[in-house]
Amino acid sequence: MGLFVDDYPDEAWVVRAALASSFLALLIGGLMGTIQALHRTGFLQVIENSTYYTVLTLHGVSLVILFTIFFLVGFYQWAITDSLQRPSENIRLTKAWYGLMVLGTLMASIAILGGFTDVTDMSADVLFTFYAPLEAHPLFYLGLATFIIGTWVAGFDWFRSWWAWRKDNPGERTPLRTFMVLTTMLMWYLATIGVAVAVIFFLLPWSLGLVDSVNALLTRTLFWFFGHPVVYFWLMPVYMMWYVILPKLSGGRLFSDPLARIVFVLFLILSVPTGIHHQYLDPGIAEGFKYLAMTNTMFLLLPSLLTAFTVVASMEHGARQRGGTGYFRWLTALPWDKPAFTGMALAGLMFAAAGFSGMVNAGMNLNYLVHNTMWVPGHFHLTVGTAVALTFMAVTYWFLPQITGNKVFSKRLGLWQVVLWFVGMVFMANAMHRVGLGGEPRRTADPFYDGVVFDTALGSISELHFQIALGGVLLTVSLLMFIAHVALTWFDVANRSTPEPEVLPPALSGPEHAPAVLENLRLWTGIAIVLIVLTYTLPLASIISSSGFFGQAGTIVAGMLDLVITVAQPLLEVGP
Amino acid sequence: MSSGTESDVSPDVWDGEIEREIGHDEYDPIGTLGLIAIYFVIIALLWIFMYFVEFLGRGPTVV
Amino acid sequence: MEIHRYEKLWFVVSMLLIIGFIATITYGAVGAGIQMVDDEGGTVDPDNIGDYEIRDGVTFEDLQEPQAQHVEGNEYEVAIQAIQFAFIPNPVEVPENSEVTMYITSPDVIHGYKLAGTNVNTMVIPGEMTEITVEFDEPGEYGAVCNEFCGAGHEEMEGILRVVPEDEWEGDA
Repeated sequence: MGLFVDDYPDEAWVVRAALASSFLALLIGGLMGTIQALHRTGFLQVIENSTYYTVLTLHGVSLVILFTIFFLVGFYQWAITDSLQRPSENIRLTKAWYGLMVLGTLMASIAILGGFTDVTDMSADVLFTFYAPLEAHPLFYLGLATFIIGTWVAGFDWFRSWWAWRKDNPGERTPLRTFMVLTTMLMWYLATIGVAVAVIFFLLPWSLGLVDSVNALLTRTLFWFFGHPVVYFWLMPVYMMWYVILPKLSGGRLFSDPLARIVFVLFLILSVPTGIHHQYLDPGIAEGFKYLAMTNTMFLLLPSLLTAFTVVASMEHGARQRGGTGYFRWLTALPWDKPAFTGMALAGLMFAAAGFSGMVNAGMNLNYLVHNTMWVPGHFHLTVGTAVALTFMAVTYWFLPQITGNKVFSKRLGLWQVVLWFVGMVFMANAMHRVGLGGEPRRTADPFYDGVVFDTALGSISELHFQIALGGVLLTVSLLMFIAHVALTWFDVANRSTPEPEVLPPALSGPEHAPAVLENLRLWTGIAIVLIVLTYTLPLASIISSSGFFGQAGTIVAGMLDLVITVAQPLLEVGP
Repeated sequence: MSSGTESDVSPDVWDGEIEREIGHDEYDPIGTLGLIAIYFVIIALLWIFMYFVEFLGRGPTVV
Repeated sequence: MEIHRYEKLWFVVSMLLIIGFIATITYGAVGAGIQMVDDEGGTVDPDNIGDYEIRDGVTFEDLQEPQAQHVEGNEYEVAIQAIQFAFIPNPVEVPENSEVTMYITSPDVIHGYKLAGTNVNTMVIPGEMTEITVEFDEPGEYGAVCNEFCGAGHEEMEGILRVVPEDEWEGDA
């Protein structure tokens, strides 16, 4: 077996293209973050307050949609091809879904960038959550829909590879990486139903002027139907990296293959019926539905807690194989000189901290304390901003040689880069949590009010603002180091010898120990659908029956569409 | 990746970085158990602090 | 399936942690009596907020006054409109030792309403009436911020809520 780029040159091209798109989004989104960190703390305000929200939209969309998902599709294409040991069934289809995603990105980006200039009326200053009745240019919604359709086709492409593989290998256990890809995509198909319905039936017709109002609570609820599971769409590739790459880097083997599969099945089942926990403080949703979402969310902690054990145990196994001893002294035997290892380990540590702030967010009535304060972005800068972003960057140091055929430019530069990200985020995220507890709202250009004062128990708000700005600057430096490093490796500036192909060791407890029922993806998807129906039917029915599909200020056009839907509904229900 | 019995790993997988191979039955992740126990204690204490001091100790509150 | 005994132990402890969290939150709801914002306020036509009937003969407009209106005992009511980019009325006054039901809604986009340094925090969604009841035991002044992005100018959306000492209360009692 040779390098991935030599064995599967066409697939490697798509993987590289997806990663390049991802890194471009990371660079743009990251620089927007620098502007925000300095602006809202008052240290450097180079833009108007009103432009801040265009910057914030670009920051959110670039990082949590484009950077993460482009990286995911590239990495998953590699995982499928490499673990099934077979090229794409049809490389043109593979290139086509990548093309669709790029097209969608361009459309949405044009709409967002329009917000920076007065030359055109076009804008999309609606942030990543695009809550109606804030309105974006139709191109924004169209771009989003196109992008998501691209990911749907990607999932189909991977399923197709698996179907073909199964035909050739009857009775064999699905390789772990493929299993992880498939469960992630099944979760994604279920999750994106919410945003697809919101965009296609409500937001797009409304932004085109076909209907003139929307039911704000309905589109918001549909958004969160998608908006919570999307965080697992960011996390599941990270879990795959922690499960299959980190043990190898540590010098060990994955502790338990069956447990890794169980974790992914739990994510498939529990990710979607939790979205209402983002709406704990929404009027129009009964407390019982919120309580149900809360219990589901709490049980969703389980796969992450189990992962913490398995992953650390795999690292410990590596450390002991490397000669480590003692209760905790083995920690020093880990390969801390490898940027890929160190970055992933630090990302995991930050995720443990994020687990705590996430538990608080999930705490229903406790949410009164932190909802929409800076605590919340503090939390997700630890999750998506570190657990995901830092793992992606760290894994790049391991991954890039296999898809480019070039050795990484400098281990030491990589090490500094990942450590700097960690340190920057410790400053920034910690301070964000604390100003949030003091009541400072998120998503504002200028949290300095005439009549509102925020207090913090220890230190002062201005001291914490300084930490946010300092953290932001360190993160910017780390980001630029990363981008430069990728470029230096990509174009093989050092012109070093060809890297060795990487072999992933099998798990200590292999897939043959897993119960066969784990392979039954239909069963798990069925259970996931039942749970979604149970958690969402009643709240959605209640929202629609009290305000209609298009809100109370509906007009004749809306009324007519309402009528069509009411007439069509019974017809659909008698169908198969 | 597809088969995972105890003895079929070549040490080359780890680029010659390991000293000895440890199989499933001879490995107890005692350090992991210790670390995760510490994590559990921290989380439980922080939760109690956040809920009963930061949250319930603060007013006014929605009733 | 082989699962190491430490892993089984951690599974049990994890479940206990999760159940402990759920128990704490249930205690907060039942024992400490903290209610969630819910659908009690019903829906409202965002183009005719003032006409919303709070109860027989009392509309949203009637309660949209700078001082909370007395209902009975220590119960008061006040209505606040969240609109790009202000809270109306502002400031709002309530007496100390009161239990105030606040009605908040929006004619335009989604807003938030949070009293800094307190647990009073809610979303305000056009078409929905937010109804929350808050106990104000001690006199003081709280700053209110809109904590959901509502358009260019969002950062200017703020208000004041004053809890007036009982002997200085000039409103309806």
